[in-house]
Amino acid sequence: MNGWTVAATAALAGGVGATVWGVATGPLRRRVVAQNLSTSLACPSLLLLAQGYDRPSYVDPALVLALLGPVGTLVFARLLAEDLEKDPPKAPWLTYAASGFGAVVVLVLCVVGGPDRAMGKLLVTGALLVGGNLIASRALAGGIAGSRHG
Amino acid sequence: MNRRAALSGALEVLAWWAALMALWLVLISAPATLELVVGAAAALVGALAAGGARRAVSGR
Repeated sequence: MNGWTVAATAALAGGVGATVWGVATGPLRRRVVAQNLSTSLACPSLLLLAQGYDRPSYVDPALVLALLGPVGTLVFARLLAEDLEKDPPKAPWLTYAASGFGAVVVLVLCVVGGPDRAMGKLLVTGALLVGGNLIASRALAGGIAGSRHG
Repeated sequence: MNRRAALSGALEVLAWWAALMALWLVLISAPATLELVVGAAAALVGALAAGGARRAVSGR
């Protein structure tokens, strides 16, 4: 047990636990936002666990999640486009906060690890995570429906 | 296709190849000769596909 695993456990229990609750309850607009945020919180947790256990190969699940999580959200945005158009989700601050959390975790791990190839992998993961989540939340808020009509 | 279009197409594939090769180098665990050869070949296939896909969506 060290500081990294404590931080990862806090993010998993508090953050991902809250998103599971959000996905399981409430109106559709809240559920899709919670589903999108779960990636933004689980991926930094996996990065923290990789650092905590000192296993660089544990970064791979975080990379895969950062790639596939936003893609999954885009599938929901496409399938639920008509329902979301009537009641569009608006949670900009939550989205920015979760993306900022991911960016801060990646930057801290980069500073701790120092400049090498592993840092490049971390930066790729962070760019996929933050960029993917911002694009996916924009699609949830009407980006796909808007582009389909326009 | 005139010479200018062929040159810009080749430059585009080269740029895609460089970007994909950089991604490969970042993601592998240990750079060895075999890794570099496989990565360069895979990046070339990906670069040709990426250039074709970009021309397809840009409607040219």
